[in-house]
Amino acid sequence: MTTQNNFWQHNRTVLIFALIALTMPFWFPLMGGYSGLDTKIMIFCIFVVGFDILLGFTGYLSFGHAAFFGISAYVTGIMLKSFSDNIIPAILVAVLAATLVAVIIGLLTLKRTGIYFSILTLAFAEMFDSMAMSMLQKWTGGENGLTGMPTPMLFNLKMQGDTVFYFVTFMAILLFYLAKRIERSPVGLMMKAIKCNQTRLEFTGINARKYKLLAFVISAVYAAIAGALMVVYEPFVGHEFLGWHQSGEIVIMSVIGGVGTLVGPMLGAGFMLYFENVLSVNLGEQWLLVLGAIFMAVVIFMPGGFMEGIARLKKRYFTTVDGE
Amino acid sequence: MDMTLNAFTLSILTGLQLGSIYVLIALGLTLIFGTLGVVNFAHGALYLIAIYLAVSINNALGFGLALILVPPILFIIGVLLERGLIQRFYDRPHTDQILVTFGLAIVIQELLKWAFGANNIPFSIPSWGNGIIFMHDYLPFLEGFVVYPKWRMILVVVAIVTVSAVFALLHLTRFGLVIRAGMRDAEMLQFLGVNINRRFMVVFGLGAMIAGIAGVFGGPVTQVSPEVGMQLLVPSFLIVVIGGMGSLGGAVLASILIGMAQSFTAPYIYINTIIIYLITVIILLVRPRGLLGAKGVFE
Amino acid sequence: MTDVKSENTNHKAGWSRRDVLKATSAGAAAGVTPMFFTQNAWAEEALGNYPVKGSEVVLGFNVPQTGAYADEGADELRAYKLAVKHLNNGGGMLDTLKPSKLTGNGILGKKVTYVTGDTQTNADASRTSARRMIERDKVIMVTGGSSSGIAIAQQYLCNELGIIFMCGLTHSNDTTGKDKQRYGFRHFFNAHMTGKALSPVLSKEYGKDRRAFHLTADYSWGHTQQESMQEFTEKEGWSTAGNIMTPLKTTDFSQYLSQVLNSDADVLILNHYGANMVNSLTNAVNFGMRDMQKNGKNLEIVVPLYSRLMAKGAGSANIDGVLGTSGWNWALQDEGSKVFVKTFTDEYGFPPSQAAHTCYVQTLLYANACEMAGTFYPPEVIKALEDFQFTGAGNGETLYRGSDHQCIKNILVMQGKSPSARSSEFDYLQIVDEVDAKTVDYDPAIFGGELGPYVPA
Repeated sequence: MTTQNNFWQHNRTVLIFALIALTMPFWFPLMGGYSGLDTKIMIFCIFVVGFDILLGFTGYLSFGHAAFFGISAYVTGIMLKSFSDNIIPAILVAVLAATLVAVIIGLLTLKRTGIYFSILTLAFAEMFDSMAMSMLQKWTGGENGLTGMPTPMLFNLKMQGDTVFYFVTFMAILLFYLAKRIERSPVGLMMKAIKCNQTRLEFTGINARKYKLLAFVISAVYAAIAGALMVVYEPFVGHEFLGWHQSGEIVIMSVIGGVGTLVGPMLGAGFMLYFENVLSVNLGEQWLLVLGAIFMAVVIFMPGGFMEGIARLKKRYFTTVDGE
Repeated sequence: MDMTLNAFTLSILTGLQLGSIYVLIALGLTLIFGTLGVVNFAHGALYLIAIYLAVSINNALGFGLALILVPPILFIIGVLLERGLIQRFYDRPHTDQILVTFGLAIVIQELLKWAFGANNIPFSIPSWGNGIIFMHDYLPFLEGFVVYPKWRMILVVVAIVTVSAVFALLHLTRFGLVIRAGMRDAEMLQFLGVNINRRFMVVFGLGAMIAGIAGVFGGPVTQVSPEVGMQLLVPSFLIVVIGGMGSLGGAVLASILIGMAQSFTAPYIYINTIIIYLITVIILLVRPRGLLGAKGVFE
Repeated sequence: MTDVKSENTNHKAGWSRRDVLKATSAGAAAGVTPMFFTQNAWAEEALGNYPVKGSEVVLGFNVPQTGAYADEGADELRAYKLAVKHLNNGGGMLDTLKPSKLTGNGILGKKVTYVTGDTQTNADASRTSARRMIERDKVIMVTGGSSSGIAIAQQYLCNELGIIFMCGLTHSNDTTGKDKQRYGFRHFFNAHMTGKALSPVLSKEYGKDRRAFHLTADYSWGHTQQESMQEFTEKEGWSTAGNIMTPLKTTDFSQYLSQVLNSDADVLILNHYGANMVNSLTNAVNFGMRDMQKNGKNLEIVVPLYSRLMAKGAGSANIDGVLGTSGWNWALQDEGSKVFVKTFTDEYGFPPSQAAHTCYVQTLLYANACEMAGTFYPPEVIKALEDFQFTGAGNGETLYRGSDHQCIKNILVMQGKSPSARSSEFDYLQIVDEVDAKTVDYDPAIFGGELGPYVPA
């Protein structure tokens, strides 16, 4: 049905992303980046793309998505420690567990709108964080974190160093492509309609709840995959993975990048992690202050984030009078 | 739970006093939300400003001056914030309000950390407030030796006075009448020719001022360090939601409820850490508008 | 702060970037190309960031620069910089440490440089910054930290990557107990030693007929501290009236103190550190507990682990007379301590804390071990540190035990000074007793855990 030409055109963004991502190990060190950070950026790209499906499409701001990230990470770690060092069963079980929790939380929280939803998700995230630190200490390692995992294996392949990077990047490209497909599909359209005007959508007979839940669960699955991959990359799970600080970081990444654009949040993720790990060394203690200020500036003046900035630049410098 | 009367009384007192800090913050939050419709994630940061101001003035010039200066300064800061930042967001979606106040909270917290350091600054209780009250002198049903810190009881009194003052303001003055009307229907009020913007400014300042009072009296209790702001904000938000967003009576009731819940579950750590979240979830499922919330408000 | 970009990039059994470049064609090949890189060609030579090429060697200082322990982290950093200065130029404890092969000319002829990282007092962040220092800055050793959770997290990381980790301030039994690692070394004392040293002093001061109530921070350090204190106070004849766990994030302890008041305890033991201790002690004093009488005796408060920073945060009015333990104090009069205090004060204008002391000593010990081993190759350096007996570092005769990589040394029982007795703004604590290393020694087997192999799997 679609010609060869159409495929490349349709998926231009994905292919450009793939190109940039896969060559990252070569150009990243030139900017002061290092091996390991690139993998982390890819993991957070996955997390943030999923989050954007919820925030960007349906407009629901969740402060609790770190809960799925963290739950998945813990389960992956526990699976690696006690079941098998093969990552495939670990990831599958972890994502399944997190998805289950997401369905329950989604059913509970999506009944409420806007602020209630945000605060409720915040409450859940904090609850899981507290539980991981205290009553579930035996399994989660409490404040010390979950440690002592064996080297993760993909069947016979040791997941270390660059192997992990390429595995994660492969997943990231795949999941980004999937997200783009969702965006273009009728389902994605429904989700975007929710952000536009939920009441009007329901007047047309559509069951908005179904789509809200779908968006919520899909974004949770992305978060869960990211969480599982995080453990494959770095065999450590801290209770900080669950709390609202982590959720807050994702929100900052999405907003700085450009909510709703899918690509924007990934830029935001790369920017924030680069900022936090590379530039922070020069800024010293004040990097969070600077980042917070940038965040505020974006929200006030350029709410579309980097993508809006890029669009404006494009318009300024790359369009002629007749907008070509 | 097998408890002696002594133990029970102590737990009640503790619950009241925990609730007092919460109520002072939740009151400002719900007032701002009910009137302006703004979700102020930076309220914890306002409290933070209050305690740092209070401790600085206290350590340099004494508590009396801190008491006189901090609430008005916070009022002014509130007004400036509203005029400078918040009012640009009235027409923007709630999400944006949350985001900008969230960013503001981070910036304020980091600035204070930069200026004062991350370590705790001791906030000494003034001599007239120091010491303990011999509860067994006042409550005849107590046996033996039961004491409670004076300052915490003062805190409870301050909370009661503040809450009463706010209620009086809203129900007994003309200004309060306008505010309450604005909470019901801001648009209609504007049609009637009332300058709602000026009212909003005052209300935001008021909310900040209450946080200022909380800071002056609560500083010695919660201690003065940069994390305190956010640590208090999350439970305060939950309390506002439990009580019913926009309902002041609800905020008071919920504060007492949560204060008591935390006090009585203290020996049982596993419940103690999550009791507030459990209550939030249960209330929001069973009675989504909150304990005393008006029906239909953001359900 | 200097960055050293050394050519060496080999991780133990994985791939090197060079191999990926050679083997994969750049582009959109979205797949993993399994390549098994034979180990033999590099085998026992390349490990972690060894071998160190060039004329400089880089150390990684990972300290809390933001977050609750930032002040302590700042002090640790000062000590590290001083250590580097002495290693490169001589002076300081190089003159007192025995046996020592340090020359004052760097380590093994290479000039010592360093990079710093921010742990943010957060285990995840500490691992991230440690990783950056290892991967990008090619440090040969990582050190620092103000909390056991962070120390343990980094220990595991460094153990995997073949980098030696010299712990900073970590007090939990677990760090050299069940979480011990071949590549981790702790000089600072632990909760068990605290319990052993403090309890006899407590029973001497307060009598043997006491009932203790514990408030314990609900995480691994708190638990180990509480267990050790309970074990040793009960050995002295005390009984334990109760133990309540307090959430780590607590700032207001009134709800827990009410429970203590309800009980018949006459001693309150605060198994809290840092901000927790500052708040719980201040709250307890507000509750009038310092002036209370229970069971016909004065109610006493004990803070098993003291630090100057905590003392400052709580204020001397509150810590006046309160007993606890410390690893070191600047008032000590032995040669090693005196020379360290002098050089630190000359450099910075105020005396060092116990955190600074342990970090300084750890750096010197590592450097010394490299000199003694004659190489930077981690397994050899580890062997040089194991069962190393030394003196002149401020704690008397010290043994760096090989079975668990824990230093067995003298520790101090401290008491808070009243505001009038203080001689300066850094003078919060006085030394009540210096407890001998032999008294606090213990059998490493009680904590379990395994060190693991010399070469990471």
